[in-house]
Amino acid sequence: MNIAVIGSGPGGYVASIKAAQLGAHVTVIEETEVGGTCLNRGCIPTKSLIASSEMLSLSKNLDEFGIELNGSATPNFLKILKKKDNVVNTQIKGIKNLFKSWNIQLMEGHGKLLSPGTVEVLRSDGSKEIIKADKTIIATGSSPSRLTDFPFDGKRIISSTDALKLADIPKSILIIGAGIIGCEFACIFNALGSEVTLVEILPRIMPSEDEEISDLLEREMKKRHINIHINTTIKMIEFRHDSMFVLLDNLQELMTEKVLVAVGRSYNSHGIGLEEIGIQTGKHGEIAVNDQMETNIRGIYAIGDVVGGYLLAHAASREGITAAKNVMGINEKIDYTVVPSAIFTSPEIASVGVKEHQAREKGIKIIKGYSQFRSLGKAHVMGEIAGFIKMISDEDSGKIVGVHIIGPHASDLIHEGALAIKKGLQARDIAETIHAHPTLSEGLMEAAGDTYGEAIHVMRNDYKKHKN
Amino acid sequence: MLRKEKDMDPDELKYHKEHTWVKISARKATIGITNYAQDSLGDIVYIDLPEVDSDVEINSEIGEIESTKATSSFISPLSGRVIEVNEELSESPEIVNEDPYGKGWIAVIELYDLSELDDLMDASEYAKYVEEEAK
Repeated sequence: MNIAVIGSGPGGYVASIKAAQLGAHVTVIEETEVGGTCLNRGCIPTKSLIASSEMLSLSKNLDEFGIELNGSATPNFLKILKKKDNVVNTQIKGIKNLFKSWNIQLMEGHGKLLSPGTVEVLRSDGSKEIIKADKTIIATGSSPSRLTDFPFDGKRIISSTDALKLADIPKSILIIGAGIIGCEFACIFNALGSEVTLVEILPRIMPSEDEEISDLLEREMKKRHINIHINTTIKMIEFRHDSMFVLLDNLQELMTEKVLVAVGRSYNSHGIGLEEIGIQTGKHGEIAVNDQMETNIRGIYAIGDVVGGYLLAHAASREGITAAKNVMGINEKIDYTVVPSAIFTSPEIASVGVKEHQAREKGIKIIKGYSQFRSLGKAHVMGEIAGFIKMISDEDSGKIVGVHIIGPHASDLIHEGALAIKKGLQARDIAETIHAHPTLSEGLMEAAGDTYGEAIHVMRNDYKKHKN
Repeated sequence: MLRKEKDMDPDELKYHKEHTWVKISARKATIGITNYAQDSLGDIVYIDLPEVDSDVEINSEIGEIESTKATSSFISPLSGRVIEVNEELSESPEIVNEDPYGKGWIAVIELYDLSELDDLMDASEYAKYVEEEAK
């Protein structure tokens, strides 16, 4: 079986390896570099910048830990980017080595479907090659969305991709869009010393998350002196000598060195032959697929950002596995019941399952349990006490349906919740499981106990309130 | 509860049941949290101050106080317009622990309704109220 995979991000490369493991002969077509947005322009490079910026923040709190710094800790952006590049390059090599070991052929160029079973590869030097494939998996991903009124120039009005290769730390940066990307960059540049202003059109920052999570993140950002404007849009940007004058629709005026547009992602579904061979797309250009990741054309599958939905690397990888199995004749349906998400703001955010406002909208009756990180000894030891865990259970079945965490290591803690939801556990199951001390995971046990008003680290007055 | 002399709530102030104090001067009221409140909260690490020029209503949340133990609402003891906030607290919130009735003042409110003052407690009434609540 010959399989062509267009795109080698976390969807495409995982699908390729899975298909090869199942015995396929796989050709991967990649226009830029293996690893896709995730590895080259997204998850991994931003996390490297976050690791550097957190190191700097930590250095400012050394005194609290009894460490005296003789001299000052200052960020060197070139070195920060170099460290990021090293991480990225190591990962790229890792994927390429995996490809080699599974005899996966990597072709550099732009892939375009000519017909079901034929893919044209256009190289950067203009030469073309045609590949025959029994089945094709489209994994072309997404790109930063642009604003018509304020198009990217790569220098002053920049995308998240541009932000990862700036020459220096900007003195000031205005970020349009307080979603995941906008808030992560706000935290990075704030920690590195930029004056950061976040502008969000919706009534709250991080609108994809639970409302209480947004509230706490907003407070933590204000604490760090990040300027936040909600319910606000940009009225005008005027280029001045070496900065920009910005007028917000709330009539506030400010000067900024950079404007980062982080208003979402657009699907890379143009120029790859979809229209020509009649592959159906949705109204925003996302490729329509069934629960086996197959498009309306038999033998052509699509996975990852380009099919819309979650736009998460790990969702893309799972879709890749599902597509690869179906391609190889193993019937499998994609299961989205548990898709955790992790956001690397300060503090981190992670969530899985139903959010409170979603339960309200769907009319699901819920019971909630909370725990505060500040009630944990470990959080105090680490000097990171802000944040909470919120566990949502279905009142009728008693099963956990959502877990939302904001606080230190939220992205690691969430998976106990993910497993609980996947296996249909009740909060009681977690509350009755001994959790090691002193750990942050104790917070999950406490939140689970609090669901029944049985948490231990609660003041008597609050305990009584809960019981009433 | 044993109360030390130095922790006594000043007689010249008025007190609200949400553990805030009020110091009146003409139509202006300086407000803050009581010694009992700061002591219960423990080390204060952050205060989300009300905004200058914002209107506040009696018994409603106008800010948040975060300590190493808890995050609590700061409830306004009176209605009015915020005309000044203690900016020093945004950098050094621990001042509230050190001097809740002095340098740890939180905001100054221009009052709308002086009759609201009648419902506040005096120092001895507040002391009794705190004792009751601690039971």
